[in-house]
Amino acid sequence: MKKTLFYCVIASIFLYCLFPFFWAIQTALKPAGEVFRLPVSYFPETISLENVKDVFAKRPFGRYVLNSLITAGGATILTIAGASVLAFRLRALGLRRAMRIQRWFLVGAILPPALLVIPVFMVMKQLSLVNNYLALILAYTALNLPFAVWMLHAAFRQLPRELDEAALMDGFSPSAILCRIILPLSRPSLAVTAVLVFIFCWNEFILALSLMPSQSKYTVPVGIALLSGASVYEIPWGEINAAVALTTVPVILVIAALQRWIIEGLTAGAVKG
Amino acid sequence: MFRLIVQRQLHWEPRPEKGSGGDEVHPVYGVGLMKATLFLKKLRGRFAAAEVAAILDGTRISSRVRIDTEPTRRARIRALLGALAKTPRKAFLLIAFYRRTRSKGAGTGRALIWQGGVLALLIFSLLAVLPVRAEARHPLRMIGPEDVGGAWAEVIRRFHAAHPDIRIDYVSGPWSTDERQNMYIRSFLAGDAYELVYMDVVWTAKFASRGWLLPLDEWVADEVRSALFPRDVEAGFYQGRFYRVPVRTDVGMLYYRKDLMPQPPRTWEELEAACDQSANPPERYCIVFQGMQYEGLVCNYLEYLWGAGGSPLGPEQNVLLDRDENIAALAFMKQVLDRGWAPRSVITFQEQQALEFFEQGKALMMRNWPYAWTVLQRSPLEGKVGIVPFIHQTGREPAGTLGGWGLGIARTAQYPEAAKKFIEFAVSPEAQKILHFRRGAVPARKSLFQDEEILKASPHYKDLYEVLLTSRTRPIHPEYPRISAILQKHVSAVLVGIESPQEAALQMNQAIEGVLKGKSYSWPRRLFSDPDLKKTLKNTLVFTGLSVPFEFLLGLFFALWVNLPFRGRSLMRLSVLVPWALPTAVMAMVWQWMFNNPFGVINDLLVRVGVLQNPLDWLSTPEGAMFAAVFADVWKTTPFVAIILLSGLQSIPQELRESLSIDGGGNVVIFYHLVLPLLMPFIRVALIFRVIHAAGIFDLIWVLTKGGPADTTRTLSLYIYDLAFRYDEVGYALFLTSLFLISLILISLLIIRSAALRYERV
Repeated sequence: MKKTLFYCVIASIFLYCLFPFFWAIQTALKPAGEVFRLPVSYFPETISLENVKDVFAKRPFGRYVLNSLITAGGATILTIAGASVLAFRLRALGLRRAMRIQRWFLVGAILPPALLVIPVFMVMKQLSLVNNYLALILAYTALNLPFAVWMLHAAFRQLPRELDEAALMDGFSPSAILCRIILPLSRPSLAVTAVLVFIFCWNEFILALSLMPSQSKYTVPVGIALLSGASVYEIPWGEINAAVALTTVPVILVIAALQRWIIEGLTAGAVKG
Repeated sequence: MFRLIVQRQLHWEPRPEKGSGGDEVHPVYGVGLMKATLFLKKLRGRFAAAEVAAILDGTRISSRVRIDTEPTRRARIRALLGALAKTPRKAFLLIAFYRRTRSKGAGTGRALIWQGGVLALLIFSLLAVLPVRAEARHPLRMIGPEDVGGAWAEVIRRFHAAHPDIRIDYVSGPWSTDERQNMYIRSFLAGDAYELVYMDVVWTAKFASRGWLLPLDEWVADEVRSALFPRDVEAGFYQGRFYRVPVRTDVGMLYYRKDLMPQPPRTWEELEAACDQSANPPERYCIVFQGMQYEGLVCNYLEYLWGAGGSPLGPEQNVLLDRDENIAALAFMKQVLDRGWAPRSVITFQEQQALEFFEQGKALMMRNWPYAWTVLQRSPLEGKVGIVPFIHQTGREPAGTLGGWGLGIARTAQYPEAAKKFIEFAVSPEAQKILHFRRGAVPARKSLFQDEEILKASPHYKDLYEVLLTSRTRPIHPEYPRISAILQKHVSAVLVGIESPQEAALQMNQAIEGVLKGKSYSWPRRLFSDPDLKKTLKNTLVFTGLSVPFEFLLGLFFALWVNLPFRGRSLMRLSVLVPWALPTAVMAMVWQWMFNNPFGVINDLLVRVGVLQNPLDWLSTPEGAMFAAVFADVWKTTPFVAIILLSGLQSIPQELRESLSIDGGGNVVIFYHLVLPLLMPFIRVALIFRVIHAAGIFDLIWVLTKGGPADTTRTLSLYIYDLAFRYDEVGYALFLTSLFLISLILISLLIIRSAALRYERV
């Protein structure tokens, strides 16, 4: 008896987490007539791919994905590169000083980007970078550096200083120590941080909305939120759900592959110094 | 495999050992040992030194270091281990080493960094340059709604054929006109304006006052202008200069079922009679209109106001909203809902919903735009519908709100002559007819209303012409968006029932007077006297105060359950991660769909289960919208909290739990006295993150409710965004941002300080 209750609770947690996702996929596979029909059907009676086709036909959705990939990927690379260097230097400082500095990084890490849009927008406009990939890449890097430094610092600190000394004896320069010793040894943490940064950049909305006002530069979340309709007054729910499904399935596959690391990363960054 | 952690290095002084099989033992801190950098583990005597040496044998530690099998080295290692074994227990050396450390040969890392840097520079310069070039291929761009029927595509195609040297690019934008206006505004602010400004009637004043538009007085000839509807052309003027050429016109009017009521009501009193007589809610309501809080609501409302003989602004731009006419108009609108002539769900209707409702035969009359006629002729209601000008108070004049779209040219456009050619083509009879036949657009050119082709296909255009003559423009003022927002808010409040018509009229009047007077407040003073800000702060507090506790409760629940060992646990962990990993903005669309009425699954489930009698309009009531927002936020962030708490739970050793339960503690006792205190640091960390993110939330609410019915879900970041990007009050927006940021930083520092003590101990 207890076991069935247990599994009931587990099943309901499962349902709670995945239901919206399932609903989006289910709606996406329905033909337009069935989407707007009552009573609501919980499983498509006829499976049709017309919504998916429409998503790509009516707007450059592939372009949106490409834009997201470019901005998120570029930002991740830049963030990891910058954060490695910073974390490396922090590690050399000794625990107390490093912690004092890192406390300020924590403050930077939790600031909601929605509050920073206006100043960032103004800066980007000054630099004439609006509608340019660089604007988003730089902005995302800046936003993610504190978090990445935090995580990488914790990871680097696990490696003993003796490694550095030994390498120095071997004739390694400091940059070589970073590139050839520390980074290869902390690959798991690097991967976790990169994944988390990538996810954050991919999901980011408000900066992408403000810094890339032209349609050919939309990232995926912006593209979906601004999905246009078949007529001036109509909301294409079938297509919207199809676009959502297209976006979310790859994300879920990725986190399925990396879930252990992601959880490790979230907790490590959050808890350990 | 050994993998161990260094804690502290012992400063040791080895002594030469005597008699270890005759091997000579050298001092172990020579260069050789340093190179070897042996990391030894304090193995509590489990392994003999020789065994460790055997294991280390042959291991490559770094590019230059390999422990070889020379006896002398081995002896050295043994000696080191022996020496270490003699050291005091307190000082211990834990050493890590990794087998199979890879390294691609010796050398500095400088070359790598240089290469990486050059490569990055190349990529970024490419990225910086390429997009600019891509844009240059499309010299003239315009944003419009989805081009159904390919009307614009055809117009543009013919234009390209006639003018091969000019390229026009029609960018498909969102269906919401507010959103497209925002897109234009953002592009103007960004300095990369869309050259052809396809404007709604009400955008002209704002865009022109900001200097974004090119005056078209010299560019567009008088003959062209005189061929178009005068009211329309009038609407394109701002402070005496002409900025917008109407391309399609629009006017609000009353649709009615010819087959069910031979004589449509023309006055308010006639409407009352007709509704009391023929309407039969809920099978068939009397009238539907657009009652949601958006620009369309203002169009509806003004028709009542004008119909009562009132007007929002007087000839000297004085505000006339405290007069009786306004109160009468608002009271009448409220009456339409209260007396059941219109369904309450009208508060969630935009044009599409009203049209569907009327199409399904659920209402006798509908207020909508001309496009609806085309749609209705393809539905079962074909031939059963008539149109008349909208109702008015007895003794007054009917009025329909002028809508329609026109083209202007951005001041920064590089090729204004080309743009002008396109505009002239767009208002030519040929293009106007294309837009009409393919899109159902109402031509802006008067002569086409006597055109044979058009009259044959649409005989109702005779009536439409009459209605068009009653059209009136909304207030032409650069602050129109602000004015409209105020009108929307208070009319919506009257319809929803939050404000009485008198209150609303007074508030409207006051607020609009404030807007027209200009920004005379200094920000600190404005901070204390801004009613919008107060409401916004309250909404933010409510949202945060509701969602954070629920997140934590649910998160703790999930963490406790997922912590238990069972099969399929990793699948459970994956599913708990899913809500967090998906983009908020994207999932907010799904939530909007799920909370939809009537097609949403949440309504469906609740009705089936019996919790609800009738489906609710979640997103159109203040409580419903806030609930939906909180629900969606809790759904999304519970995993994050759960994961953090889970790691905390996993760090509690099993022995502690067991000992407590042996001592007689039940589960509850264990939880309260053991688990919770140990979880505190984790809870604190999660709390910082969540409170700050909930307070600054934007994505979810913007996509889900855009600030909600009557601004009831508008949180601080939405307000700031609106101030900066819609109302152009960037200074005030930045002021609020700074205050908000500083308080967030202070709060987080406070919380961190208390947690920091924990860090020092490490």
